[in-house]
Order: sequence, then structure tokens, then C-alpha cells
Amino acid sequence: MSKFTGVWAIFEYLDETTETIEQVREQGVQPTVLMPCPRHEIDHALGEPGTLVPWIALAFGALGCLIGFSLPAWTASDWVLPVSGKPIVAIPPFIIIGFELTILLTAIFTLLGLFLLGFIDTCRFPIPKAAKKYRRFQRDRFGVVVRCDSSRIDEFESIMKKNGAEEVHVEKE
Amino acid sequence: MGITAEYNSTAGRVVIDENEGHPGIKATTLSYGQINDEMLAMLDKPRPSYYLLLLGFLMALGLGVLSFAIQVDVGIGYSGISHPIAWGFYITNFVFWIGIGHAGTLISAVFYLTRAPWRTAIYRSAEAMTVFAVFTAGLFPLVHIGRPWLAFWLIPYPNERMLWVNFKSPLLWDVFAVTTYMSVSIMFFLLGLIPDLAILRDEAARKGKKLKALLYAPMALAWRGTNHQWVHYMRGYLIFAALATPLVFSVHSIVSWDFAMSSVPGWHTTIFAPYFVAGAIFSGLSMVLTVLIPIRAVFGLQDYITNHVIQSVSKMIIFTSIIVGYAYAAEFFIGYYSGSPFERAIFYYRPFGEMQSWTLLGENQINFPQIAFWLMVFCNVIAPIPLWRWKIRNNPLAVWIITILINIGMWFERFNIIGSSLQHEYDPASWGEYWPTIVEVGVTIGSFGFFFTLFTLFAKSLPPMAIMELKEGTNPPMKHAAKKDINE
Repeated sequence: MSKFTGVWAIFEYLDETTETIEQVREQGVQPTVLMPCPRHEIDHALGEPGTLVPWIALAFGALGCLIGFSLPAWTASDWVLPVSGKPIVAIPPFIIIGFELTILLTAIFTLLGLFLLGFIDTCRFPIPKAAKKYRRFQRDRFGVVVRCDSSRIDEFESIMKKNGAEEVHVEKE
Repeated sequence: MGITAEYNSTAGRVVIDENEGHPGIKATTLSYGQINDEMLAMLDKPRPSYYLLLLGFLMALGLGVLSFAIQVDVGIGYSGISHPIAWGFYITNFVFWIGIGHAGTLISAVFYLTRAPWRTAIYRSAEAMTVFAVFTAGLFPLVHIGRPWLAFWLIPYPNERMLWVNFKSPLLWDVFAVTTYMSVSIMFFLLGLIPDLAILRDEAARKGKKLKALLYAPMALAWRGTNHQWVHYMRGYLIFAALATPLVFSVHSIVSWDFAMSSVPGWHTTIFAPYFVAGAIFSGLSMVLTVLIPIRAVFGLQDYITNHVIQSVSKMIIFTSIIVGYAYAAEFFIGYYSGSPFERAIFYYRPFGEMQSWTLLGENQINFPQIAFWLMVFCNVIAPIPLWRWKIRNNPLAVWIITILINIGMWFERFNIIGSSLQHEYDPASWGEYWPTIVEVGVTIGSFGFFFTLFTLFAKSLPPMAIMELKEGTNPPMKHAAKKDINE
């Protein structure tokens, strides 16, 4: 991973954090925000970022449904056991298998998908080592990380200080 | 009522009117840091009484293991299960524990989707309960089949003659339903734990406890709480809740079809699915309170698990109790209205015993099913009636006693359904009688030991409340509101 160049700051208050995010975004940079719990205010400030997780869920749900119906249908046709003229490939009993496998595959791949997407984003939007070692982002502090050229560091540093950051850290290669 | 906010300089946070915040949590004014500290304090070194409690549960578990070992050694014939009663205590326990496992996912998924905020304080424990109850339930088919080493025959793969399992059998539906439910419940539980494990990791590191931090780090899966992670996480969590919701209702429906798809009198009825689901939610919610009310008292969690939470769960218990009571009555009506002598006979047999010999005072053949029936009616229909009163609902001890009665009642409901119908099927010549043997009682006690051992270990090793969601429910730290108030 390339070394981090940019600014990161620690905030105590939510409203100061959201103001900083908005002002950083006005400068054409999308910051990474660290927070102890999800807050809608931060989502709004970040411009409602989306996620691919629902599409992964839909795709694997469809696959699960397909397997859930085709596996019993195929096994019933592969070794035919006729029981008093009842249909060999009977849809109603297979609905249960189809339903269960739809849920199971959706759940498994939603979980894997969100981990994978989280991992990809961690690589795409790295945060400096010092920020990782700061232990209060899971506790009671908000963090705003801005990755930028060294020429713009002062600009973002002043935005953060102006908005009441507790600490502002500058990271240069 | 308007929001009145003031800045508390000692606590360093904005204090907003309690009534405006989270109805499930009295202390909406707690700061994020305080929530962390109070929740983590629950994981401190346990008192000797904890070990004593754990020892008791382990002894019960040991009794279960010993009983099972005897049964494996002697053979399944050592249990009371014999023709025509092929399903006895073990399947009763299976259905009972699956039912207990319903509340967790109901609380964490259904109440998440319906935005019932009081769920926050109790859903983690309820979810853990679900996972442990389904584990416990999962043991019983293995115990019941007599030769547990051949249990893999149930897994859907072809045998050496390429013959597959029968996908049209309700028993196989059950395998799919229960394993899916167990898998999704475990994943849902672990998903909810990730941000809290990151909290544990960071707090341990902050306090210089390196070994603990090292232990929690891999479990937290590199969680940093970035906005990117939260976006995927929250959407994934919502999808999980949406998936788990139909699953809650389907699992016990499918368990009920184990019975309803057969042509046994008293089982072959269309109301079984909703009847079982309502019963499962009823028993599950009762078990949640049975477990949480003592935990609340021991850890002093009155600010989190408020009386409002207990009241809300109690209302759900009343609601499901009415459904269950109605189902009991409806079953009798269906028995009468069916015109089938076998249906009528079984619904006479359940409360009153043998039709021929029954007299009010004379020689009566009261059997195990009759005891089960009347206990069921008393505990599930009559005992919850006091919960209608606000004063009773607001008294945790009274609620706790009622929930214990409900647990007993629901166990006997399962037995009433299973035991009585098999004792009296069609031909009187093939009727039988069932009394459990010592190994079945031992394994049943062992199952309670297994469940409570797991829960006791959980309560001291992982946060029993979702710290992240408690923070979400409290008022966020706001500078400007504080400034405004101070100026006023």
C-alpha cells in the first residue's frame, strides 16, 4: 500500500464533523470518516453513498432459488420412484427447498459480499497508520481523513482547525 | 413536549430531555464513552457466585451426557420410546428448543424492520439465546435416532447407488429449515458482533491489555468504523433482517408439518403452522425474560433494560398467549366439526383420558398426556392473564414467575401434541402408553444444562448488549445545541 499523504483530524462533536465533511467535499475531495456508530447526519454530509450489497444479495438469492428447485427436480427425475400416480416432479414440496436455499445462499453471499466490499474500500481509501492506532474512534470520537497532494494539505488543515477539531495530524510521505 | 437541551460541563456532553430520546433506554443522555465503560464493566472478572452458577449448569450438562452415554451403550430401547410411541421426550425437546430459538431472530430481525426501539437493549442476548437454543435443539434428532453415528444419512447427497434423499418428505424439509435457520441465526449474530468486537479490541489496547487486544483483533475482522464499512454493513444488516423475517415464520411452520403432513389424529390439521409459530414466539419471548430479568438484577442494568422493555415483551406474550389459547379451542372445534370419530376420540382423550373408564371420582386412568394437557392450559392460557394489568407487567419479579410458568406450559404443550396422538391412533388394539425413562429425563435436564452453560459463558465473554446500537439510540454529542442552550 502506498504511503499516506494528507490530513486527518479528531472531532468530539457530530455537528462539527458533518460541517467539516461538507466543506472538504466542496473542495472536490471525498473524505473518509471514522465513527463509533452509524449516523445519518454523516451519510447526508457525504452525499448518501451507495453500496453493491443489495445486488449481490439479489444475484445469489436467484441462484439459490434456481438450485433449490432444480436439485430436487433433477434427483426426482434421475431415479424415478412413482408413488400412486403422484407427479414425479412435484412443485409444492420443492417450494420449501427452494425457499430455504434462496435464504441460505442470499445470507451467505451477503455476508461475504459486505466483507469483500469493505476490504476493497479499505484498500481504495486507506487511512494512515497513526489513525488506526488512535483507539477512540470505536469509543466516542469522530475522525475525518482527507487524502490529498502535499500542496493542498494547508487548505484542509485550516478547514479542520476552523471547525473545532480536537487534534489535526498532517501526514507526509 | 419540546426538546430541552443543556450542556453538562462535567460529563462533557449535551443533555437532552430524557422523554424525547429512546423509549427502550432510559438513559438516552449517556455519552458514547459511558456506554462503552458500563457495557465493558459487565465483562470484568466474575464473582464467585458466577462460577457456582456455571458449576450447577455444568453438572446438569454432565447428567445429560451420562444419560446419553448409557443410552448409546445399552441402545435406544433403554428409553421409553417404543411402538406405537416412536416420538417421546426427545422430539418434544427438539420442538421446544426450536421454539425457544424463535424469539431472538424475531426481536433482532422483525422488530428491527418494524422499528421497535426497545429491542436494542435485549436483542444481542436474545440472538445468543436463539443460537444456543438451536444448537440444543439440533442435538435431539441425533439423540433420538438411536445410532447418532449414522446421522449423516440425512445430508442431501447420493448414496453409493446414486439414490438421493427424498425431497418430498417433511422430515427432510425440516433438515433444510433447521440448518438454514441455524446458519442464518449464527451469521446474523456474528454480523452484529463485529463492531462491538472492534470496540473490545480498541478498549483493550487503550488500557494496555495487549493479550486481550491480540485475541479480539482477528475476531473484529479489521473493523475500523469507516463510512465505507458502515454503508455496506448497515445495508447488509437490513438485508439480513429482511431474510430472517420470513425464516422466523417458516421454520416452525415446517417443524409443524412434520406432524401435520401425517394422517395421525390430532396432528393432521391445517392450523398447525400458525399455531406452532405463535407458540414458538410465545415460548421464546418468555425465555428471553426468564433469562434477562435475573441478568438485569445482577448487573444493575435497569437503565438499559427498562421496565418499558419488560412491558413491551409482556404485551407480545399476552398477544401470542391469546393466539395459542384460541388455537387450543379451535383444535377442539375442528375435532368436533370434522365428524371423524378418531379426531373426536383424541380430543376427548387429551383432557379426560380413557373414554370407557372415565368417571369423576372412580377408578380413572389419568395418564401422562392428561397431566400435560392441564398443565399446558393452566400455564399458557391462565397464567399469562395477570399480565393484562399494568401493575403486574411493571413488576419484574411477577413477570419472571409468569414466564417460568409459560416455559413449563410450552414444554408440556409440545408433549401433549406428540405424546397423546401417538398413544391413541386408530386401532385400539395398537394403542400404547408412554412414560419417560430415567435416561430421557436425564437428557432433558442435560439440555437445559447445555443451553444455560453456553449462555452463562456468553454473558461474561462477549458484550450481552449491542454497544454500537445503544450508541445509535442515545443522543449524539452536538456542540451547537450546547452553545445555544448555554446562551439561553
